[in-house]
Amino acid sequence: MTTPRDGLAVLGPALAFALLMSNYVCSSKAQIKPEAFPLAALAAGPATYGVDDGTHITLWSRAATQARADALVKAYNATHKNHIDATYVPTDDYQTKVGAAAAAGGLPDLFSADVVFMPNWTSAGLFTDITDKIATLPFAANIAQGAINVSTWKGRKYGLPFVVDLSVWMYNKKLFKAAGLDPNKPPTTLAEFAADARAVQKLGGNVHGTFFGGDCGGCEVFTWFPIAWADGETVMNPEGTESHLNSAENKGIYATFRSLVEDGTALMPDTKTETGPTWTGYFPKGNIGIMPMPASLQGMANSSLADADIGVTPIAGLKGGQATLVGGDAIGISRDSKVANAAWNFLAWMVSDEAQIEVVAKGGNVLARPDLANNKYSAADPRLVIFNTVAAKGQTPFAKAFGATFNDPQGPWLVLLRDAVFGDASKIDADNAAINASLNP
Amino acid sequence: MTTTRTGTLGRTPYYVLTGGLAIIFLFPLLWSLAASVSPQASTGQVNGFGLGNYTTLFNYGAGLAQFLLNSAYVALFTVAITLAVSTLGGYAFARFRFPGRDALFLLTLSILMVPYATLLIPLYVLLNGLGLQNSLIGLSLVLAMFQLPFATYMMRISFEAVPRELEESALVDGCGTFSVLWRILLPSVRPGLITVGLFAFLAAWSDFFAPLILLTDSAKQTLPLAVANLRQQTMGAIDYGATEAGVVVMAVPCLILFLLLQRYYVRGFMSGAVKG
Amino acid sequence: MTPATPDHRAAPAAWWRLTWWRYRQLMGVAYAAPTVFFVAVFFITPLLLVARMSLSSWPLLTGNGGLNFPKNYLSIWKNALFGPAVVFTIEYTLIVTVLLIGLGLGLALLVQERGRWVDMLRTVILLPVSLGLAAASLLFWGFYSPSIGPINPILEQLGLIHDPISFLGTSLSALLSTSFLIVWKYTGLYMLILLVGLQAIPDDLFEAAALDGASRIQVFRHITLPLLRPSLALALILCVTGSLLAFDQFYILTKGAPDNSTVTVVQLIYREAFQKQNLGTSAAISIMVLVALLVLNTVQFRYLRSSEPGLKR
Repeated sequence: MTTPRDGLAVLGPALAFALLMSNYVCSSKAQIKPEAFPLAALAAGPATYGVDDGTHITLWSRAATQARADALVKAYNATHKNHIDATYVPTDDYQTKVGAAAAAGGLPDLFSADVVFMPNWTSAGLFTDITDKIATLPFAANIAQGAINVSTWKGRKYGLPFVVDLSVWMYNKKLFKAAGLDPNKPPTTLAEFAADARAVQKLGGNVHGTFFGGDCGGCEVFTWFPIAWADGETVMNPEGTESHLNSAENKGIYATFRSLVEDGTALMPDTKTETGPTWTGYFPKGNIGIMPMPASLQGMANSSLADADIGVTPIAGLKGGQATLVGGDAIGISRDSKVANAAWNFLAWMVSDEAQIEVVAKGGNVLARPDLANNKYSAADPRLVIFNTVAAKGQTPFAKAFGATFNDPQGPWLVLLRDAVFGDASKIDADNAAINASLNP
Repeated sequence: MTTTRTGTLGRTPYYVLTGGLAIIFLFPLLWSLAASVSPQASTGQVNGFGLGNYTTLFNYGAGLAQFLLNSAYVALFTVAITLAVSTLGGYAFARFRFPGRDALFLLTLSILMVPYATLLIPLYVLLNGLGLQNSLIGLSLVLAMFQLPFATYMMRISFEAVPRELEESALVDGCGTFSVLWRILLPSVRPGLITVGLFAFLAAWSDFFAPLILLTDSAKQTLPLAVANLRQQTMGAIDYGATEAGVVVMAVPCLILFLLLQRYYVRGFMSGAVKG
Repeated sequence: MTPATPDHRAAPAAWWRLTWWRYRQLMGVAYAAPTVFFVAVFFITPLLLVARMSLSSWPLLTGNGGLNFPKNYLSIWKNALFGPAVVFTIEYTLIVTVLLIGLGLGLALLVQERGRWVDMLRTVILLPVSLGLAAASLLFWGFYSPSIGPINPILEQLGLIHDPISFLGTSLSALLSTSFLIVWKYTGLYMLILLVGLQAIPDDLFEAAALDGASRIQVFRHITLPLLRPSLALALILCVTGSLLAFDQFYILTKGAPDNSTVTVVQLIYREAFQKQNLGTSAAISIMVLVALLVLNTVQFRYLRSSEPGLKR
């Protein structure tokens, strides 16, 4: 039945696989060196994790995520022969710069993208297909899928998560106590969120119940979309061509925030005029009760807000549930790169256990590998565990014309949300039609 | 200067009015200086007055020294190209008649009528084609081009203001046109040259958009680019202190040059006075 | 080889003059050559590309998609932001032009005297001109911000206001605040241009008018203004063109907020190119703006030429 050659055909890879796995399981470092196991190397294929031979690699990323991106770049440069030259571009101008470079064939080897821009750039063919390369990673299934999903176009994958941003609700435990709320029982529905905010508002003085960036489309995408998702509702169809932002669910969300604005619970006029650059600067001042924030504790505690007073809870829906928006940056190899293998070496390292634990978790940031949530650094702080576990309940919205629809200060989403919360709420359906038009250019 | 023609406004109201104006004009500049050393949350200078923001600026990216060097290189190169092209061109327009003269002059002036955003992508593609992408020289060429309308106009009226006799006597003596230009005319149009050079320097030093698109190397970034980046390093928090420190550093060389060369550019504009 | 002429004494002179003429022409072309090079390579070539883009479907990321005239031009009319942007840009231009030229003229008249005080005043007014527009916009961005802006605290201390003024919060305040920035920055330049024009008016005219008993207003209306026309026209052309093309200050200060009420035409050009990623429509708007400016400036230029009292250019 089976010839010896058949046997070897089965045994060979099996042996190789076992050897690979043993290395992975037995050593504390999950860095597989194929050259140590020649048979494994043969079976696993050539240069699985790219090449590390002193190549010069160029990388572009946004200024908004610079600190975390740079931590990874520096750690990579310190432990590898390859060298990455990172350029950080002003956040507002990043799309412009990449667009110009794409038009002229001048893209760098690696460049990151706000996850919501990935469909736009993958569909334009700016990235190299790395589907097969990803498949060679043993932990591929454990990587946060949100970033990979938005980096997938027509079934092929083009990106991996670089810096992960999640949205959560943060609340000031000191203010909660003063308002007679239990600081260890954060709200579990949107109604409770509003009630708690109102309770804090009653404290008066320069204390306010809540705050949000009312002139910033991207901020509301980040912090309101999860409310709908927590209820199992949708904001768009999966292809990103049809908007459900005028559904009953979403109208209910807008109504809640409208009421918080109208009764003064939300800090005004700042809420109405905040265009985005400073929206996360309010909570650390210590006089906001509860508000949505990015899931990062880095550098937040200060003289006005003690670390012990920072409470964290997942975003909840109208009826309950939990969700988050898995945002941040994805990163891929550009179509113009001549050193794709060296660039891949960085990408593979970036999502490996070593980088995720020793660089990302150590820095108190959200991991791209939810399976490593209970590592030695995060376990010490239950809030970090919340960050990492809620990531598993997160989604990333997908639309080819995302930027022009939702992030553009002249785009239709901002018009809709401002009508819903500050202006004429009866215009919501008309505004939603404009969003649909923008999603289908 | 001429005698007063405004008549008497009354001395005290005059001083009050002009004093008030002076304060209004100076205030933002002085405030910027003060803000760059004042304490402000989420900056490099949280408590008390000091140079913390300048430290942030200094340590950012490739370092302040590198950005200053890049800006200086681009500015000086732009000045050189602008002066060379506009002087020769101004001389041509002022003193010679040749086919297409007026058309060329109007074409040069019409550069003013096209916005940056329009030309930048084609220029980017063009520089790539010429092999000048991501180069400070390529950037300087583009900036010089945008200076041409003003510079050429300036040099033209400067040359036109020089009495023809000066030139004609030299030509009769047998000098070639170039030595006439070099030895006789240039000293006479020095105010114009300085004006053109100064404005070219100021424009190139402070330009943000062209370096943003045309430069990709972080080590080649110019100062305005670095300051714009500094503004928003972490999401949701703006480093106002570093921004103002950046503004001060960008402004100081300009202000100093402007003050030092004041005599010249006033005279540069004045050369047009004879012709209107 | 002298051509056969009736008067053989005139022939050599004519021939010599012809060569001299040719020589001068050639030298002129030679000196103008660098300008020709720059204009041709760095201006005309990109402009032709822009024209071509305006006639084609040209997505930013994927490049030339073939001709589609007149689709790009038609889409401009369909762009809901276009009309308001044109209106706003014209509004802004009017405000800024009136302020800059009016203030520039007034200050020019004011600082004609000699003296240390006047020198100081002139210098102070000219200082902001040296700042780059981006630097000045960043400066005012901090100046107007609710976090570190100094005006509100000062006014509140003086008891003049109760609630802080939001400089960029409403469409009117954003327009006025940005206009203030521009007026602050450029008044010195226009003051200089008009000052120079004023200096060019011969003193004897004023002395004669004074002897005739003319009042200050009459002097202004009948002597100063007419003779100032060339300078005024130059200032007008610069100011109008610059304001119609306003971008940097709005990009940094307002980004079109609040509620798209401070969007200028060039911002639309930028948005079409980089947000909507459509170089074709962006180029179409650019070409339209260019044509409008050409027409406008030709009219203004004609006005300048017609008003020059017998001056040759």
